Amino acid sequence: MKVSLNLIKKYIDLPKELTPEQIARDLTIKTVEVEDVENTAKKFENIVVGKILEISAHPNADKLRVCKVDIGEKEPVQIVCGGSNLYEGEYVVVSKPGAKVVWHGEGEPVEIKAMPMRGVDSYGMICGATEVYLDGYFKPESETEIVDLKGVDCKPGQNVAEIINADDVVIEIDNKSLTNRPDLWGVYGVARELSAIYNVPLKELEKYDLEKGLKKYDVEIVDEKKCARYVGVEIDGIEQKDSPMWMQTVLINSGMKPINAIVDITNYVMIVTGQPMHAFDRTHIDGQKIVVRNAKKDEKLELLDGNNIELGEDDLVICDIHSPLCLAGIRGGIKDSVLPETTGVLLEIANFEASTIRRSEKKFDEKTDAGIRYEKGIDTERVDQGVNLALALVKELFPNSKIVAYADEYKAKTERAKIDVTKEFLDVRLGTVIEQKEIERILTKLGYNVNFENGVYHVVAPTWRSTGDVSLRDDVMGDIARIIGYDNFTEKPLPIKVEHAVIQNNVLLERRIREYLSFRCGFDEVITYPWVEDKYIDAAGLDREKMVKLATPPSPDMAYLRSSLIPGLLDSIAKNLRYFDDFKIYELTQVYEKGEYHESSGDETLPVHKKMLAGCIVGKNAYEILYELKGVLEGISSYCHMEDIELTVGEKPAWADINAHMNIVKDGEVIGSMGLLSIKTMLETKIKHTNAVLFELNVEKLVPYTSRTNEYKHLPQLPLIEKDLSILVDEATPWEQIRSTIAPHVNEVIFVEEYRGGQVPEGKKSIMLKMKIENNETTMTSEEINKIIDKIVKALYYKIGAALREE
Amino acid sequence: MKEELEAISKQGLDEIASAKTMDELQEVKRNLFGKSSKLSEITKSMGSLTPEMRKEVGMKVSEIRNLFTAKLEAKEQEILESNSVLNAPADLTIPGKKVSGGSIHPIIQMCYDLNDAFASLGFEVFSEDEISSEKYAFDNLNFAPDHPARQTMDTYWLEGTENKNGAERLCLRPHLTGGSVRYLLQHGAPARFVYPGQVFRNEAVDARHERDFFQYEALIVDKDISFSSGIVMIQTILEKVFGRKINVRMREGFFPFVEPGYEIDMECLVCGGKGCKTCNHNGWIEVMPGGVIHPNVLKSANLSPDEWTGFYINIGLDRLVMMRYGVDDIRLLRSSDLRFLRQFN
Repeated sequence: MKVSLNLIKKYIDLPKELTPEQIARDLTIKTVEVEDVENTAKKFENIVVGKILEISAHPNADKLRVCKVDIGEKEPVQIVCGGSNLYEGEYVVVSKPGAKVVWHGEGEPVEIKAMPMRGVDSYGMICGATEVYLDGYFKPESETEIVDLKGVDCKPGQNVAEIINADDVVIEIDNKSLTNRPDLWGVYGVARELSAIYNVPLKELEKYDLEKGLKKYDVEIVDEKKCARYVGVEIDGIEQKDSPMWMQTVLINSGMKPINAIVDITNYVMIVTGQPMHAFDRTHIDGQKIVVRNAKKDEKLELLDGNNIELGEDDLVICDIHSPLCLAGIRGGIKDSVLPETTGVLLEIANFEASTIRRSEKKFDEKTDAGIRYEKGIDTERVDQGVNLALALVKELFPNSKIVAYADEYKAKTERAKIDVTKEFLDVRLGTVIEQKEIERILTKLGYNVNFENGVYHVVAPTWRSTGDVSLRDDVMGDIARIIGYDNFTEKPLPIKVEHAVIQNNVLLERRIREYLSFRCGFDEVITYPWVEDKYIDAAGLDREKMVKLATPPSPDMAYLRSSLIPGLLDSIAKNLRYFDDFKIYELTQVYEKGEYHESSGDETLPVHKKMLAGCIVGKNAYEILYELKGVLEGISSYCHMEDIELTVGEKPAWADINAHMNIVKDGEVIGSMGLLSIKTMLETKIKHTNAVLFELNVEKLVPYTSRTNEYKHLPQLPLIEKDLSILVDEATPWEQIRSTIAPHVNEVIFVEEYRGGQVPEGKKSIMLKMKIENNETTMTSEEINKIIDKIVKALYYKIGAALREE
Repeated sequence: MKEELEAISKQGLDEIASAKTMDELQEVKRNLFGKSSKLSEITKSMGSLTPEMRKEVGMKVSEIRNLFTAKLEAKEQEILESNSVLNAPADLTIPGKKVSGGSIHPIIQMCYDLNDAFASLGFEVFSEDEISSEKYAFDNLNFAPDHPARQTMDTYWLEGTENKNGAERLCLRPHLTGGSVRYLLQHGAPARFVYPGQVFRNEAVDARHERDFFQYEALIVDKDISFSSGIVMIQTILEKVFGRKINVRMREGFFPFVEPGYEIDMECLVCGGKGCKTCNHNGWIEVMPGGVIHPNVLKSANLSPDEWTGFYINIGLDRLVMMRYGVDDIRLLRSSDLRFLRQFN
C-alpha cells in the first residue's frame, strides 16, 4: 500500500526534524514494514512549463516542427517536436537537458540531452503525458499528442512538480504486514499510529452535517449477517468533470488512477479512511430501490472490467428491483457505472462480511482495492467516517449538488472488545514495570478506553481494532510493547535449570551415521526433493499405487512423493556423472507410503512415514565398488555404536543386478537391501559407462547403544603367528564356507585375494588367505604349528574338496 | 718408528676424513683397527723393542687409537646427519596426497552447529513427520478458517484429501510449528526444545525462493518468563553461526500463532549496517520471525495460558547457510551437485 506523507500531515503535525527515512524506520519497527520511501518530486527535475512562441517547418522532415519556446530563461529556446497538437501560445511540458523521461512511455527513464534532430538543434523535448509521468492527469487521444496545459494555472519555467502538487513522499508499506490491521488500510489509521509513536495529537476527520428531514431512500438488506450496515445517499446536480489537481495527485501517489470527480471522491475516501465506497448512476437503479441479497442460482453479472461472471448463491450482490448491479464490496457492474451524461448518483457506503468478500474474490479472481480492504474485516462505525468525508468532498467539488434522499440501514454494530489486563500480568510478561501513566497514554493514543482499578486495567478496544485483531490481554500487551519498542526492553537471561543433561541417543545415532559415512568412508551427503520424477520411480521399480500423491504438484511428472530414496539417488547419480567418474553419495530423510498411521495424536490419520538412509558408490569396476560398499555396511554398526546388522542373501530389489544383491537384516527382520544397479535400470535412467552399487535401510530400526559398551579384550602375551595359505576350490564354493572350515582351528581367518585364469584350471578358483594363530602359553615349535596347518588342510580337503596350491 | 707412527696416524686420519658413507667408514675402521692393520703390526712387533722404547711406542699407539676412535665417531655423526633416506631430494612443490573425506550437507552441518549451542542451554532436539493434517498445520495454530495459506496456491495438499477439512485434509507440512504443539502434547510443560526440519510451500522457484526448505524452530515454555528472554535465543543462534556477537533488532510482525509477534532483523554483514544492495539500503536483513506463543496455541497443547507462557523463534536454515558462505542461488542446496557440496567438507 502506498501512503502519501502529505496526506498523513493533514491529520497530524509531525516533529519538524523528522526525516521520511526516520518515519519509515519507526513505522517498520513499531507498526508495519515499510518497503520503500520515494520522493515524488525527484523524477520531475528539469521538467518545466514552456510556452510556444513560434512554430516553423522543419527543413528536413515533414512531420517535425521547430518551435521557439519560452521556458522562463533569458532567451527563448529552440525545440524540435513532432507533436500533433502544437499551436502558438500553447503551454506545454518541456524536458530540459538533464531531465529523465520515459521514451514513448516505455522502458526505463533515459536522460535528455541537447542535440540536433534531423540537422536542427533542439534544446530538450516537448513531452507527451506518458513520457513525463503525467498520464494519470492528462489522457491523450493519440500517441502523438503532447501535454496541453490549457486551463492549468502555470507560468513558463515553473517546475511541473509544483503545478500538480507532486512535492510529496510516498511511503510504500508491505501489504503482507497489514493483514491483521484493517484500520491501517486507510491513511488516517497510519496517522493514528504515528500520533502514538511521536506522541502528537491526531486531528479529527472531516465532518458533514446532514440536512434534517431528508427523504428516505429505499434499501433492503436480505442477509443481515453478510451486510451489517448500508448507507445510501442520493445526490443530484453532478456533472462530468475532472477532480482538482491535489486530489488527482493523492490518488496517483496512492497508486490509483484519477477517472472523474465523482469516482475520484469515492477512491479518495477509501484511501483516507479505509472504508470503500461506490457510486451508482441513480438512473440505472430500476425501481429506485437497493436490495442487498445473495445471488440467485444462474444469475449473471457483467462487471465493469468486462468480466462476465456466473453468480452462485454464496455471492453477495447489490441489486435493484430486477437484477444484480454489482458484486458487493468487490467490483461494480457495467450497468451501474457513472457515465459522462450522469447527473445524479447514489453513493454506497456499506459494511460487508470479510469472509463473504474473500470467497467471492477468490472465486472470480477479482482482487480490487475495495475487496482487499473488506476482506480484512472493517468495523461498522467506519461507515460514518466515510459518509462524512464523502459528503464534505461532494459539497466542495460540486457546490451546486443537492442530497435528495438518504438511507442508513444499520443491522448490527461492531462490539468493542472489553478486556481486563492485570498489572501483574504486564509486569511479568513485559519483564519491566511500565508506569501506569505511560500505559494509559499509549493505549489512549491507539484509541483504547482505559480505566485502572485495584491493579487491573479495564480496557475497551477501539471499534476499528475489534473485528478480530484485538480480543485478548496478550494483544493489549503486544500494543504496549511495540509502541515502547521491543528493543527498549532489557534482555533477560533464560532461567537455567540443571536437572539432567540432554541425552538423545537416536538423535546422536543419526549424527554418528552421517559422520561415519562422510568422514570415514568419504561419502558426500545430498538433499533431494520429496517429489520425484516418474521415470526414476519406474526405474527404481516402485509401485505407484502405494505412493502418496500431491493434488497440485510442482510439475505433472512430479506428482508422487517418494516411498524410497532410491529414485532421488538415481537422479543424483545421473546428474553428477556429467562431471565425475567416481563418487559416493547418501541421503538420510523421511519417505511416505499410503497406509494408516496415527501420530502422537489419535485424532488424525496420516500416511506411513519411514526414515531411510540410502547411499551409493559409483565407479567403473563393479567388483571393487560392490565390496567397498559391503565393507561400509559391515563397519557401520561398530563405528556408529549400535546393535549389529547383518547382510544376508535374500529377495532381489527391483533395481538390483541378479547376481549381486543382499538384504540388510536386524534381529531377523529385513530392514533394507544393497546391490549393484542392474543393466536394465541403468538403461532406463541413462546412467552410462559406469557401475553403481546402492543401499537403502530403515534408520528407525537401528538401535543405538546408550554408551560405548564393547568389552575390552586382553592383549595376547606372545605375538600371533601369521601363516599364508593358497588353495584351489570349485568356482561355486563361497568364501564363507572356507572361512568357517578354518575358523575353529585358528584365532582369525583373513581373506586376501581371489584369482582365476592363468594356471588355475577351468571351473576352479584360487583363494589366498591369511591365518593368525594365537600362541598363548608356550612358544610353539614349528612342529606344533605344522600340526595345526595339517589339520586345517585335511579339513579343507574333506569338507569342501580344496587342494593346497603349489607355490 | 716414530716417523712410521706419524705416517700411520696421518694416513688414518685422511682415510677417515675421505669416507663418504657408513659402509666406507666401516671399511676404514677395519683397516685401522683390524688384525692386519698397520697399528696391529706395530703392536705385534713391539716385543723386540727396548723397554723404554716399548713404553714410548705403546703410549703413542694408544694415543693414535684414541684419536682414530674419536674421529671415527665424529665422522659417523657427520655422515648420519648428512645422509638422506631419499635417493634424490624430494620436489616439495609437488602437492601432498589428498585426504579422502566426504561432506555433510551444509544445511545439516548448520543444524548440528545450532543443536550443539542449544544443547548447552538445555534444549532437546525434536523431529517430526513431514506430512501433517490441516488441524495441526493450521487449526491449532490460530489460522483463520479462510486464511490464504490454506489454499492450494500456498500449501501442497495430498491428492484425495484436498477438499476435506481439519484432521482429514493432509499436506506436506508448510511450517514446523504444528509439530511443536505435538511436542508439547507429548511432553507437557515446562519445555525447551529445538526442532529442525524441512517444510514445503507451493511457490515459484528462483534464486532466492524454494519450494522445499529447512526451518529451525526453537521454543521454550515456562512460567513467568518475559518476552525479552527470547532475545538470548536469537543471539545464541547468530553468535554460533557467525562466530561473534551480531546486532539484532526486533520489530513488529504478525503471525497468527504468536502475540506479540516480531520480525527479527540482523545487521547487514556486507555493509556493517550502513546500507548496501544486499540489505536493500536499510542496513538490516530480515532473518527470522519470533514471538510469544499465542494463548490459543497453548490451549491446543492442553496448557493453560494463565499458567504458562513461551517464546518461539523460527529461522530459515537455507537463508542462514547462504549468508554464512555467500551462496547466491538457493537452488544449489538441493541440486545434489558435488561440485557445490564438496566445497563444504
